[in-house]
Amino acid sequence: MIDTVALDPDRHVPGVRRHPRAADTLHAEWLKFWSVRSTGWSTAMLFVLGAGLTTLVCATSAAWLASGEADESPASFITWGLFFAQITALALGTLIVTSEYGTGMIRATLSATPRRGAVLAAKAVVLTGTLFVAGVVTAFAGYLGGNWFLDREGIGIALTDDGVLRSMLGSGLYLAGLGLFAMAIGLLVRHTAAALSIGLALVFVVGNMAFLLPGTWGEWVAKLLPGNAGSGVATPVPFNPELLAPWTGFAVFTAEVAALLLTGWLVFRHRDA
Amino acid sequence: MIVARGLTKTFGAKVAVDDLSFTVEPGRVTGFLGPNGAGKSTTMRMVVGLDRPTAGSVTVNGHSYASSPAPLREVGALLEARALHPGRTARNHLRWLAASNGIPRTRIDEVLDLVGLDAVADQRVGRFSLGMGQRLGIAVALLGEPPVVVLDEPVNGLDPEGIRWVRTLARELAGQGRTVLVSSHLMSEMALTADHLVVVGRGRMLADCSMAQFIADHAASYVRVRSPRPGDVEALLRGRGLDVDRHGDELQVQGMDAAGIGDLVGRAGLHLHELTLVRSSLEDAFMTLTADSVEYAAHPAAQEAQAVR
Ligand SMILES: Nc1ncnc2c1ncn2[C@@H]1O[C@H](COP(=O)(O)OP(=O)(O)OP(=O)(O)O)[C@@H](O)[C@H]1O
Ligand SMILES: [Mg+2]
Repeated sequence: MIDTVALDPDRHVPGVRRHPRAADTLHAEWLKFWSVRSTGWSTAMLFVLGAGLTTLVCATSAAWLASGEADESPASFITWGLFFAQITALALGTLIVTSEYGTGMIRATLSATPRRGAVLAAKAVVLTGTLFVAGVVTAFAGYLGGNWFLDREGIGIALTDDGVLRSMLGSGLYLAGLGLFAMAIGLLVRHTAAALSIGLALVFVVGNMAFLLPGTWGEWVAKLLPGNAGSGVATPVPFNPELLAPWTGFAVFTAEVAALLLTGWLVFRHRDA
Repeated sequence: MIVARGLTKTFGAKVAVDDLSFTVEPGRVTGFLGPNGAGKSTTMRMVVGLDRPTAGSVTVNGHSYASSPAPLREVGALLEARALHPGRTARNHLRWLAASNGIPRTRIDEVLDLVGLDAVADQRVGRFSLGMGQRLGIAVALLGEPPVVVLDEPVNGLDPEGIRWVRTLARELAGQGRTVLVSSHLMSEMALTADHLVVVGRGRMLADCSMAQFIADHAASYVRVRSPRPGDVEALLRGRGLDVDRHGDELQVQGMDAAGIGDLVGRAGLHLHELTLVRSSLEDAFMTLTADSVEYAAHPAAQEAQAVR
């Protein structure tokens, strides 16, 4: 008669705690996120594109902005690089889901943590945490770099000026939201190229073309599209005067992301992996 | 212990697993056999909660896999398809898995050592050969020292040394009292590893019995008899109602064991030059059993030509 191996799942944890918790799922997702090269590269790209392009555009436009001919506010330029940082936020958000489907990793993930809601929550926290911090740091770096050139022309912007601090914080919030938006698309589509194309098209192509729609109806569609609604919070003074007010727009954006994410979760919850 | 009851899975119109009920007991190796597309991998994915059964249920240690608080410490699974990101190192892959189930980090080096990947632990798995990937998959399965181990075609891609290692490992795990379910297409491989067999074809159960029982039931046998006077021996045995096939001077006799035939011939004063029990191979037995349920068979060229005509 052979003894059966004890079925106590805690036998290897020397008296510390009973069960793995949400914190363990989060830790696993964090390790997963940072142990592939694409994450480091993407985050570095986000910083370089975001802060670098803001500095560059301020350096080249400072003289024009200081002259009487300028028809834009210098404050519109201080988070200018964010436009490109959106690409990396979309890429990171897409990949956190589609790379798992593309490689079959999803099966390892769901065998380790069968509670799918917990997996999604952990992914969302890791993604938004990273993008928020990266977004805020990038926006500040862009501000410091760009403002140095604006200052030399006597049109420097103070952090205390209207909307400047809000736009720094807003950059982090918007990028985090955009990451979740892409993650939700990834959940629905599962293929990297397809999901990324949809995300980029919605934000960059459809978002801009919608302003060409006629009438007040068209105007509202354009205002409410995710990229247009959400990005207002990330600039002190938007280039486009037709956008919703910053926090109103962000609230609309948040609702849209939440709805898409909920749909993604409902599909993901019962799907065969 | 794994218990399946009426387990069924359909993909559209395709019935991949058809009303399977079986129990995988601890302390022995259960071989899960069937031809391509028989539903073995699908069944195993349902065991670990990745696919949802269309009907029926499967439980591990009395509950569903998904309700386990620390599944990797309860069930270790090597599934068919690779579940690895090519850009991650083997050690990092094990690290996140260990973290997710509260498994101590010291266990990572233990399993890397166990499967012989310690030297390449910090290489990206995208560069791994088929066999190295398979070894890492086995390391993942053993990470949580689980009492239940499910291995889907573990020897796939392994070299002969690796095949022998998996065989020994499966036997050791069962010897420690663990529940071990191993799938394969190769009856010959299972004959060396498994104590119990579950055979499926086209999603249906074909046999659920011990290895010994399977051999007795399905491996056809006859007694080969050679004699300087085959004609007389043939006539004698036929006279006793036995089934005799003559191939030259060799007689193939069914219906009585070798001792009985020997005594019979001896009493008649005839001489024998050979008296051997011949069993058809287990592989043949398996082929015969599953012949009707092979879906994806290759057709010999001659048959093909005939079919065209
Ligand atoms: N996700 C899926 N969608 C559609 N059909 C599927 C899916 N997975 C499996 N099948 C079908 O179900 C059947 C059983 O497949 P399964 O992979 O379980 O067989 P198997 O016994 O593991 O075969 P093999 O020995 O070749 O690995 C096959 O006909 C297969 O085509
Ligand atoms: Mg299979």
